[in-house]
Amino acid sequence: MLRVNGLAVGFGGEPILDGIDLNVAAGEFATLVGPSGSGKTSILRVVTGLLEPLRGTYELDVGPRDVGFLFQDDALLAWRTARQNVALGLRIRELPVSEADERAEHWLSALGLAGLGDRYPAQLSGGQRKRVAIAQILALRPRLLLMDEPFAALDAIVRTRITQELLEWVEREHLTVLLVTHDLEEAISASDVVHVLGHGPRAAIRASHRVPIPRPRLVLEARSHPSFGPLLRRLWDELAVDAPPEGSPAHGATA
Amino acid sequence: MTTRRRVLLVRRAVALLVLLAIWEGMSVAGWADPFYAPPPSAVGQVLAELIAGGDLWPHLGATVIAAFAGLVVGLALGVTLGFAAALAPPVADLLEPVMILLNAIPRVILAPLFVIWLGIGLASKLALATILVAVLIFFAVYNGVREVDVRLVERVRTLGGGRRFLVREVYVPSVTSWVLGSFKVAVGFAFTGAVVGEFVASSRGLGYLLQFAQSTYNASLTIALIFVIMAVVLLLFACAERIERRLLRWRYL
Repeated sequence: MLRVNGLAVGFGGEPILDGIDLNVAAGEFATLVGPSGSGKTSILRVVTGLLEPLRGTYELDVGPRDVGFLFQDDALLAWRTARQNVALGLRIRELPVSEADERAEHWLSALGLAGLGDRYPAQLSGGQRKRVAIAQILALRPRLLLMDEPFAALDAIVRTRITQELLEWVEREHLTVLLVTHDLEEAISASDVVHVLGHGPRAAIRASHRVPIPRPRLVLEARSHPSFGPLLRRLWDELAVDAPPEGSPAHGATA
Repeated sequence: MTTRRRVLLVRRAVALLVLLAIWEGMSVAGWADPFYAPPPSAVGQVLAELIAGGDLWPHLGATVIAAFAGLVVGLALGVTLGFAAALAPPVADLLEPVMILLNAIPRVILAPLFVIWLGIGLASKLALATILVAVLIFFAVYNGVREVDVRLVERVRTLGGGRRFLVREVYVPSVTSWVLGSFKVAVGFAFTGAVVGEFVASSRGLGYLLQFAQSTYNASLTIALIFVIMAVVLLLFACAERIERRLLRWRYL
């Protein structure tokens, strides 16, 4: 579905990422873990065309319109209602307003926000705003879903709940996912493959692990699977290899 | 209206009445020379005559028309130039120094020049009000576009939106909130431009009346006119606030 070959990314000076090779198979839930500031996000930004790489290429088996990008923050258009925010992508795809609104309403209901379509983002809780942002992406029926630490700002309960719902959706629709996170537990409980990014500068992918927990999965129960603990331990050790001492300035500006 | 707001209004009204009473009392007691500081009753009488005699309306009309036209033209000019400068760097290079200079000076010093160029009629007042408003709005729009939330721009782009959607969904709404932030100031500026323009040279308008009152040492008329201008500006502010609340309703929730 997605192949990244020899990617290098930098913002002047030494590249923060170099020689990134990454393969995400169709229908696979892949996660990229790495320390903060290692440039994980940059890979997603390159694939969505927001960032020009220094070197390297990427190939997609689907068109750019089949790629959904769920950002870290839940920045919505503050001057548009929840419904209008969800309908935004549909309207960009030139659906008539009435039909876009109708589909937006459907997606709001699917994400448990029925009846909140007329609210402005300022009237929604953090979790609700995140759900609007998810609805905005899912309404476009992407086949490849890119996610940049989408739940980092949510409290643990809301976070687990939304992760579970999203996981069910991904399993049902056989979506291909590339998730970027620094939360190792989240990475293991959600994904089929975990790729570990090393420390910058010139960070590359250090190891990849298959997660042997069967699907369909419950996020909470995945943690009690016998392979969860050992895998967590390995990821932890791999990330700790030549980690700079705490408090030293991280390379690169983006998390 | 909430109780707190009502209490606040009553307090303000009482404060105003007390102030007027003290002023009147000082006059009655002979502590203030009515020639220089006429009591509120005298001012009120002049004001009543001005209104009843129908002398006020044509002057008020002239000023309001000049101010309103200046506001509209200034807004249009400021928005256009602001967007042009923010979206086209060569335009910014050309405009920014001029605008910074115009922003730095008290722009009312241009009034005599406008009278020389455009005569003592409406045109010179309109020009002064326009330039006062346009420079203010230019910076609101210019900064508004440049400081638009990058995350929103990226969001619309990853959803597949091009320039048209960016302008409509992101730039215009976020610039609108910047412009409305300056809107009340702009209303005040438009009025300042009109009145100062009339003050410098004209044959009608509140500024002209003020000038007349000053040249005849008529303190009562001067104060009466100041009250008229205050009332009109407050009224315009209330309108501006309504517009602001309507357009930015997503913010006042």
